[in-house]
Amino acid sequence: MSRYLAPAGLEEALVALAGGARPVAGGTDLVVGVRQGRFPIPDDLVAIHRLAGFRGIAEGADGGLVIGAGTSHAEIVAHPRVTRDWTGLADASAIVGSPATRATGTLGGNVANASPAADTVAPLLCADAVIVCRSTAGERRLPLDGFATAPRRTLLRPDELIVAVELPAPAPGSASCYVRLEHRRQMEIAIVGAGALLRLEGGRVTAARVAMTALAPTVRRVPEAERILLGSDGGAAAVTAAAEAVAAAATPIDDTRASAAYRRAMAAVVTRRAIGGALARARGETVTIPASDTLFGAA
Amino acid sequence: MAVVELPSFVRQDGREKVTGTARYSADLSTPGLLHAAVRLGGVAHARIRGIETARARALPGVVAIVTQADVPDLRYGTWVRDRTLFASDAIRWEGEIVAMVAATTEAIAREAAALIELDLEPLPPVVDLEAAIAPGAPLVHPGWAAYDGDARIPREGNVGSRHTIVKGDAEAALAGAPVVVRERYVADGSHALPIEPRAITAEWQGDRVTIQTSSQVPYLARTHVASTLGMPEGKVRVIVPHLGGGFGGKCEGHFEPHVAALARIARRPVRLAFDRREEFLAPDHHRERMVIDLATGVDHDGTILARSARILIDNGAYGADEPYLAQLAAVFAVGPYRIPAVATESLVVYTTTQPTGSVRGPVAPQVTWAVEQHMDVVAERLGIDPLELRRRNILVEGDEGPVRQRIGANGAKTALERAAEMIGWGRPLPADEAIGIATGWWPSFPGPSGAVVKLNADGSGTIVTGAQECGTGSVMALPILAAEVLGMRPEEFTLLYQDTDAGGWDAGASGSQTTFNNGRAVVSAATELRERLLALAAERLEANPADLELTDGVARVKGSPEAAIPIAELAAEAQGGRLLIADGSGDPPAVPEVDAGGCVGRLGGESFAAPCYFTQAVRVRVDRATGVVRVLEVAAAHESGTIVNPIGAEGQVLGGIVMGIGQALTEGTQLTPDGRQRNADMLDYKLVTAADAPPMRVEFVQVPDPNAGPRGLKGVAEPPAVPTPGAIANAIARAAGTRIRLLPMTAERVWADLADVEAGR
Repeated sequence: MSRYLAPAGLEEALVALAGGARPVAGGTDLVVGVRQGRFPIPDDLVAIHRLAGFRGIAEGADGGLVIGAGTSHAEIVAHPRVTRDWTGLADASAIVGSPATRATGTLGGNVANASPAADTVAPLLCADAVIVCRSTAGERRLPLDGFATAPRRTLLRPDELIVAVELPAPAPGSASCYVRLEHRRQMEIAIVGAGALLRLEGGRVTAARVAMTALAPTVRRVPEAERILLGSDGGAAAVTAAAEAVAAAATPIDDTRASAAYRRAMAAVVTRRAIGGALARARGETVTIPASDTLFGAA
Repeated sequence: MAVVELPSFVRQDGREKVTGTARYSADLSTPGLLHAAVRLGGVAHARIRGIETARARALPGVVAIVTQADVPDLRYGTWVRDRTLFASDAIRWEGEIVAMVAATTEAIAREAAALIELDLEPLPPVVDLEAAIAPGAPLVHPGWAAYDGDARIPREGNVGSRHTIVKGDAEAALAGAPVVVRERYVADGSHALPIEPRAITAEWQGDRVTIQTSSQVPYLARTHVASTLGMPEGKVRVIVPHLGGGFGGKCEGHFEPHVAALARIARRPVRLAFDRREEFLAPDHHRERMVIDLATGVDHDGTILARSARILIDNGAYGADEPYLAQLAAVFAVGPYRIPAVATESLVVYTTTQPTGSVRGPVAPQVTWAVEQHMDVVAERLGIDPLELRRRNILVEGDEGPVRQRIGANGAKTALERAAEMIGWGRPLPADEAIGIATGWWPSFPGPSGAVVKLNADGSGTIVTGAQECGTGSVMALPILAAEVLGMRPEEFTLLYQDTDAGGWDAGASGSQTTFNNGRAVVSAATELRERLLALAAERLEANPADLELTDGVARVKGSPEAAIPIAELAAEAQGGRLLIADGSGDPPAVPEVDAGGCVGRLGGESFAAPCYFTQAVRVRVDRATGVVRVLEVAAAHESGTIVNPIGAEGQVLGGIVMGIGQALTEGTQLTPDGRQRNADMLDYKLVTAADAPPMRVEFVQVPDPNAGPRGLKGVAEPPAVPTPGAIANAIARAAGTRIRLLPMTAERVWADLADVEAGR
């Protein structure tokens, strides 16, 4: 029989983790995973969703954002700074699972779960996110890039808790976008997805981030695509070449949701749309959140 | 007779369901309750050399285990007795039940079920329908010839039954036709997938068992228990608590005898509650895979001269109601069209996959999807507008149907034209959008059904019915019919239903038959009460009963409202003497006469009593880069006879359309090469959700039909699911410029076809 601890504060939670308990916030991955038989329900659960300071979004001194790990997807997509400056994250947070999933599921959970199909991770990679981890031994700040090491594996130690995700201030002239292929409009999981962040200065791309979802064992950046975009004019040729670079870098699987061939072809499509969406936004155009829906049927 | 206005008709079960207080089968508890778990075969096809339960029995908390060795050695099956309760000689699909365990907790029961050791010898899987009927194919039932079965059904090898509809000389007519179109369509299977996985509790009192089950058909479940356990039906009571949907998947008896047998051995009440995976794999009902070959001969002016068809229908490992449905499939292959020469054939094919059976409008969505695409292809070939082609050939009053039945007055053509008007057929659209249309028909199923209506001393009424509510609201609407006869209001009636010891026999929530047949029973019973009330009132008012009417809760002299007695007063008076209680059944309406000479495998009903006719038109948008199709708009025009409960009827059409969208685009059973399901979970078996539901407009065309039910009503639950995939297919073909001949028409399939077109393949 499992034990469920509702700690009074972060320190008590960390002590429990050090003692072998596993954290639960929204439970959207834990409960489903247990019911699917992927893993047994942990002997000791420590509830972290009510911890003070764990939930909510604060503006950093440098113009960045500190998102508490317990912040729900619904809260993220409702935040005006996110929808203005981190539109790619808003695109993703707006489409995770279903309304119920978004009300309950958390950003920290989505990152820690390290699913290759996690929607929020690609835009967080594009935003150069830093993961803030705490344990009884202290705090570690790890770049998200490289944090996930394999499906459902991360650098997080068993006694550590993700407490926040830090986003540095976006550079002027930059904008981001996340697009996923979906076959239904709710309760969906990314068949493939792509995030992009572009900075435009004087008609040239001076910064580029491209990340792909459900196309490799972990959500990861695609440097080949970024290099193609960097220094380009962001025109159709560069966008197409970058999209093809993602398709080439992808190592898609065959499963019930799609064949590898379809996934690879779709990798180019969603990347093209994500880059296109980010460029449009960088130029000041409106691409309504969530972009996956807005860009349905686009080139 | 006045139409009851229903501005605010509230279902009696609505509040409980919406507020979460409704109790479903898995919510029930009783002292001493044990929990059951099933052991499924797990492989598609194997000979069973041994079943070892010792380790499972040794697990602390295990109380009883039941296998075929513990139940009577009786075969069962609706049309062919090809099955035993538990697999004993062979496993013929992965979900076939081998054993059931009762334990003190569900976790222990599941652990014990996993500990049962099966000694299996692999046998070759039989999956592909064409390969299954090829000479030399491994037989799913090598001993089939010895099975008892309905003598009308021809069967041979893996062909479990064969049915034809024959009229004229179709081959000669095709040979002589100026234009002939031949095509093949292939449909995957799909699932009924009610939100509530089935749950069954059985409890014995002496030699009598009470079973609470999530069944759509409690009386059929009772028969199933009695016949398989070798006991009289009178010793079996079946009760259905609130039912969390069925969609056909809970038709026929399923696991009620297994749980009853287990409870008898355990000498304690036992409850089985399926998890989602089991609900996918174990029921012997899912929508049929099909291979559909169609040929149509047509004149240059669009007059259809001949239709031939061969339909291979997956029966799965055991026969449920597929032979009857296959006969319908042979009719649906003709479509609601005037065709002088017809030769359609359907073969029910045994495979080592999950048995198939009724799922909302069984066989019709797939066949109609193929036939209606085929109609569009014929129209393209002729250069005729698809709507016009249908208009020229659709059945109208006086036409001869597929079995030479005389077609009565109907709304088929009106529905066709209304749906086209509603959606704006022919209007300009963006390049990636298009409108598609599909029409169809679906029979009513006349049959026996019983109900009791009684009036209480306070003037309220109670309807005791054998009809089963499966969520459609059809039972909930029975008070409307009784109220109308008795001059009362629907909310003055309470309902007692879903208990085989209480109501009269009924076929259950299947075949859209509840209002059609049980409505007749309720009207019949209420009419008898009406006569008794009028007689009582006539005495009191010193009037002739013929001069009296029941209205607004009173009996009164027509034209003299002041000479009135409240019905409640008459009911109170009756309580002192002969009670106001009446039963009803009524005579089922007729099935049109047929001339079905040459037809094979006839099981009756092929002439389609009081058919519903319907057309749906859809507008879709195709994302050409991804193949994703979105349905943007649906217009539905249905001729379902008189609409008694407008809110309920419209709800059925809306739900049927959305279910049809799922069948069309995302829902499909994916099989491994050896016939096991790859996507037996709700993440990978993609139902569409409310978010995918487009704006829908519904209109009912009301045309009187002498063979309809009370007040001229017909069923309304199944027809809306029938034409939706075909309409979407035709819209996709026009928007994408390529026709998808595989169902479901998934994004990947649309994308692959588009890629072929672009590559010039």
